[in-house]
Amino acid sequence: MLDRFPYGKAPLVLLVIAVLSSVAFAATRSSERPADIVIATFASNHYQAYKDALPKFEQQHGVTVEVQQVDFQSLESRLQSAIVANTEVPDLAEISEGTLGFFTRGPEKDFGFMDLTDLVKRDGLDHRVVEARYAPWTVRGRVYALPHDVHPVMMAYRRDLVEELGIDVSKIETWADFVAMGRKITKDIDGDGTIDRFALDLPKNGQWGIQILLRQHGIDFFDAEGNVAFNTPQAVETFLWYLHETRSPERMSYEAGWGPNYTKALSDGLILFTMLPDWRSGSLEVDAPKLKGKMGLMPLPAWEKGGRRTSTWGMTGLTISKTTKHPELAWELAKYLYYSKEDLGTRFLANNIIPPLKEAWDLPAFHTKNAYYSGQQLGLEYARLAPQVPPLFASPIYKTAAAKVDEALARCAIYYDESGETGLREKVEAELDRAEAYLKKWSDRFAVLANKE
Amino acid sequence: MQSVVELEAPAGEDSGPVSVSKKKLGRPRRYYKGKTPYVFLLPYLVLTSIFFVYPFIRAIALAFYQTNGPRTKVFVGLDNFRFLLNDAIFHTALWNTIVFTCCSIFLQLPLALGLAMLLNSGQSKLENRLKGFFRLILFSPNLVGSIFVGVLFGVLLTPRYGLINRTLHGLVGWGLEKHWIETPALVMPALVLTSLWLYVGFNMVYFLAALQSVDKELEQAARIDGANPWQVFWNVTLPSIRHVVIFVVILSTVGSFNLFELPLAMLNRTNGFGPDNTGLTVITYLNEIAYRSGDLGLGSAVGWIVALLIMSCSFVQFRVSKVSDD
Repeated sequence: MLDRFPYGKAPLVLLVIAVLSSVAFAATRSSERPADIVIATFASNHYQAYKDALPKFEQQHGVTVEVQQVDFQSLESRLQSAIVANTEVPDLAEISEGTLGFFTRGPEKDFGFMDLTDLVKRDGLDHRVVEARYAPWTVRGRVYALPHDVHPVMMAYRRDLVEELGIDVSKIETWADFVAMGRKITKDIDGDGTIDRFALDLPKNGQWGIQILLRQHGIDFFDAEGNVAFNTPQAVETFLWYLHETRSPERMSYEAGWGPNYTKALSDGLILFTMLPDWRSGSLEVDAPKLKGKMGLMPLPAWEKGGRRTSTWGMTGLTISKTTKHPELAWELAKYLYYSKEDLGTRFLANNIIPPLKEAWDLPAFHTKNAYYSGQQLGLEYARLAPQVPPLFASPIYKTAAAKVDEALARCAIYYDESGETGLREKVEAELDRAEAYLKKWSDRFAVLANKE
Repeated sequence: MQSVVELEAPAGEDSGPVSVSKKKLGRPRRYYKGKTPYVFLLPYLVLTSIFFVYPFIRAIALAFYQTNGPRTKVFVGLDNFRFLLNDAIFHTALWNTIVFTCCSIFLQLPLALGLAMLLNSGQSKLENRLKGFFRLILFSPNLVGSIFVGVLFGVLLTPRYGLINRTLHGLVGWGLEKHWIETPALVMPALVLTSLWLYVGFNMVYFLAALQSVDKELEQAARIDGANPWQVFWNVTLPSIRHVVIFVVILSTVGSFNLFELPLAMLNRTNGFGPDNTGLTVITYLNEIAYRSGDLGLGSAVGWIVALLIMSCSFVQFRVSKVSDD
């Protein structure tokens, strides 16, 4: 029979395989009813928190909600592809720092997200939430995402070792004080020619380190109108400070890196201080459990006496798809997950993240003493600094700007390593000019698209 | 002069006679008049048309537009190409790619050939067993995904705690605190080092296969005639495997121009690709432009420039090969 098949055995076998696999695929497809609302997140701790919180919402509204966890970069690229291709997108999706501009670079008709401005005002969320946190989710004066967090940055330190060294952290008010202290404790303890103890963890080529310090100075890459905003005299000063503290022979910082390297450097006492946003304070508890009771927290030193004692690092926003079939329900879910006061205390205890809803900071959970950080009231410490967090602004080229600022710093670093102090200030100014010119070129390209209706 | 020979169609075919045309000094061509081969080809042709030919043609057009997905695009003529020609970052990416390609050709391939020659020597039973073992060892890095290798080397090259840094420090007293991925001068060496580990074994297999087909009697005759090992290699072995060498050179050139996963995995902790973009390649640049910035039009223009460069290089290499054949 096989031989009588028109094209011989092989095509028949292929045909049988194709038919069988199609049948198997059809038979194994889930027969479950799709959820009424789908929410996508990139953070595992958010995923778990939402999974725990959703049954109550489902019961209250008589609907089903599915929460999906997608890798951070995949979420961004798939969401954008799905939006532009008009295919199925989650009803709600969390996006991260610097990404809203990417989704809103074209004309407004192309935006895939609902304009939430009127809903925010209608429900009074504009006053109840830290105002600065709306800025990164605002494009052309309209709000497109709800802020999930504040992410103030504090200085964490090895309390046990710092106390052993006789350092009183309450006397460190400015970065000048910190550097003076840091230079004293940065030492080659065993005399083998390699420094065994540094004061601070700072990446040599900028990245999050230079961003935190620029933001503390009130400098973001862009302003509210989308103009390049980092080329200022204060940015020059920050660059010079950074170059000295990461590259000069008397530097007091060390680049501890990420993951196990970071926790090992902290556990070994290779670094004593580290800039720690609220989200990272939670990760540190998990990654370095042996440091329980040995860590302390203090506000960041200010650039000048009485100045801002914090900065910000990272952020998440919740968007609602323009194509959702249930916009009101999606809005209710967004508010429930982000701003239902009664759940925020429990969630804070699980991940240490300060919510932007100011009234939640009075909950007992935020006053709990944290054993890991030597019994300090972690919630209260971070919440006190939350109102000082500087605003950040959206741009289609936010990530390009971050890369250009790092590139400018790297070029200055090469110059500094080769030529030292001579002409360094001029070099920093020139590199910032160069970075600004490059970004303006890009901004002009996007302006062409944004204005096309 | 052209002759046409009519052949009988295979039994059971409803097709007509099979025409075979022969060009003088050319390769004979066969045109089957029956529909059977074309039915078999149809799935391939349909899929290729949908997933290759159509996007290929669209990509040509797209290079002349600035886009925000399919909904909004603005015709910008040659502006995308003009932008790239004036973009210092594109120049850096191109330069880095050329440096990496040169390292692949002039460092990786000689090393692969050297290893292949070592594995090709010796004929005893034990040597043959060891050969198999080393072949597996040298080829095995290729069984691992390059993303994994990138992550792995990112860890191995960690200052103070990384295995490579500690080994170098132990052996030569240098490198313990070296930030390979954070120091502009060390980023490219780190990428080359990683790619050597990954691809030397792969290329070695090609060379080994070619070396095994070299006429041993010819080499023996050269030795009897007084040729030293270098002369045997240069005048007998290398010309005998030149087609494989050209093939591997072209493969390495194309592969190097398409370098993407390694820098992506190794340098992802930095904003951009290494300090001052020292690890940026044309394909990582394309990815940044097309997918991170969302400008598919400009991305297409980069793609076209890369395609033209690869085609030019391959063409030159083919010509060199042809000249050496003549």
